[in-house]
Amino acid sequence: MTTSSTMDIPAHVPEDRVVDFDYLRPAGINEDLHVAWKNAQDTLPDIFWTPRNGGHWVVTRADAIKAIQLDHKRFSHARLSIGGPYAREGSVVQMDPPRHGSYRMLVSPTFSPKAVAALEPIVRETTVSIVEELRPKGECEFVGDFAQIVPVVVFLGTVDLPAEDRDYLLPLAEKVIRPRDRQEHHEGHTALDEYVARALAARAKQPGSDLLSKIVTARIGGEPIAFEAAVALSQVVLAAGLDTVASILGFVVRFLALNPGHRQQLIDDASLVPNAVEELIRRHGLVNSARLITQDTEFQGMRLKEGEQILVPNHLYGLDERQVDNPLVVDFTRPHPEQHYAAFGNGPHRCPGSFLAKLELTVFLQEWLARIPDFAIKPGTTPRIASGPVNTIQELHLAWDTDPR
Amino acid sequence: MPKITFIEDDGTEHAVEAGADASVMQAAMDNLVPGIVAECGGYANCATCHVYIDPAWADKLPAPEEAEEVMIEAAFDVRPTSRLSCQVQVTEDTDGLIVRLPASQTGA
Ligand code: HEM
Ligand code: HEM
Ligand code: FES
Repeated sequence: MTTSSTMDIPAHVPEDRVVDFDYLRPAGINEDLHVAWKNAQDTLPDIFWTPRNGGHWVVTRADAIKAIQLDHKRFSHARLSIGGPYAREGSVVQMDPPRHGSYRMLVSPTFSPKAVAALEPIVRETTVSIVEELRPKGECEFVGDFAQIVPVVVFLGTVDLPAEDRDYLLPLAEKVIRPRDRQEHHEGHTALDEYVARALAARAKQPGSDLLSKIVTARIGGEPIAFEAAVALSQVVLAAGLDTVASILGFVVRFLALNPGHRQQLIDDASLVPNAVEELIRRHGLVNSARLITQDTEFQGMRLKEGEQILVPNHLYGLDERQVDNPLVVDFTRPHPEQHYAAFGNGPHRCPGSFLAKLELTVFLQEWLARIPDFAIKPGTTPRIASGPVNTIQELHLAWDTDPR
Repeated sequence: MPKITFIEDDGTEHAVEAGADASVMQAAMDNLVPGIVAECGGYANCATCHVYIDPAWADKLPAPEEAEEVMIEAAFDVRPTSRLSCQVQVTEDTDGLIVRLPASQTGA
């Protein structure tokens, strides 16, 4: 790797810890994004500084990822991405404790295992109906035809909004999930804000028992919640389950398209599915979020300075051979894969949607493989893969035989 | 070290010694007591460390805070002495604590 002399390197960064690494474009992601990042983990220092994207630290190993995700005092959520705001001011993901807790408390119960069990019918119905519709076609563009749709429909069901709103929301989700440019991403978010604000205003007048009603009528520290805060919180609940779920579905289906043996294993023994879901999440984590360093401090032998940012690629946790054997191998019988990943974060911000995400994946595996057991990446097409705050597959064409017998 | 007895739904008992400062959830995990998932790692955010405190002990523990209370309601098969074990601190005063585990944390 080379370092451009035109870029600023802070004086407290040792020379051997400076690497020209652009987290938006790691080498080799088009073949296998996770192998490409694993390669960075294998060959770069455990902690280093890159001058790219404004200049920031990067950690690559499981111990550091977990330690930082747990230590909000030194590593704040206040600036959660490198190179962009990436979340609205006043959004729950950007708050540090104790303020964070009074907002988070409104959301967590809605996605507990018991609450999510009640969402299973809508997840299953949605999944089955889309797959049934796709099967006779013999091909699909998986991201647009499946992966983006499920989280939108499930959100509408969770908050008791009309299922028809799907047609209005899907183009907005598309802008957020695979924007042509920043402008379009921004437009997508603004439109989602407006949609959520309208729904909240209606619920404020006529509260029901759903999450939006709960949020808009909540009290924070004894005072009624500010309307903008209610919008920000509701928008995160919608947006945080969109590109994450769409992305992991994309990586999982790509893996299955390339690995008929793994498909067959799940078809032959459906009882493997829950463990397979955990293993697939371990191998295909997504999130590259950042933390803002709040004070001059030492971490893993480096001097970090207040105001610097550090990238925490939590998908690398599950790929670290220092804590899990043969990390690149997908083994549906691996004992307790859930103990070997940090894909949902650690600490007070840990993803409240993990049970829902796992349900969506479980139902996907069951219902898709039952109807389209044999499929491949469509010949002549190449999946479009992108590294970013959330690593993702933007386009993935699949093909299958409609009359296999 | 304070002792805790965990009783599984099928009656199997696990007597463990808990480190001071640990939560009851952590004591169970450290001693490989089955029946606790603790998905969120101890932040009252997942309701998969749900336990029933022995009635004789229920009033002796500090009352749950609001975050725990709202999350207990989101657990399966909630009963009068339900607690989230990650929010129950082990101290010298809890020596001899008895907790029962629900049939399932996840409904599976
Ligand atoms: C969990 C999903 C996501 C959420 C909740 C989210 C939220 C936001 C929000 C609220 C903003 C604020 C600024 C604005 O409205 O323009 C923003 C900006 C931005 N986001 Fe996202 N985003 C998500 C996913 C992504 C993904 C997948 C990417 C890239 C592939 C991305 C890249 C960016 C960039 C580059 C900006 C800065 C835009 C600018 O400065 O004009 N975001 N995001
Ligand atoms: C496989 C899919 C998913 C992945 C990999 C994922 C990952 C994450 C991660 C890494 C965080 C931040 C944790 C931290 O900062 O420590 C997070 C937060 C969050 N996720 Fe997810 N997520 C997924 C699906 C979902 C779904 C389906 C929902 C829908 C309810 C959701 C809702 C949220 C919310 C509301 C937050 C903010 C929590 C907070 O800041 O306290 N996520 N997620
Ligand atoms: S471990 Fe999640 S609520 Fe206790």
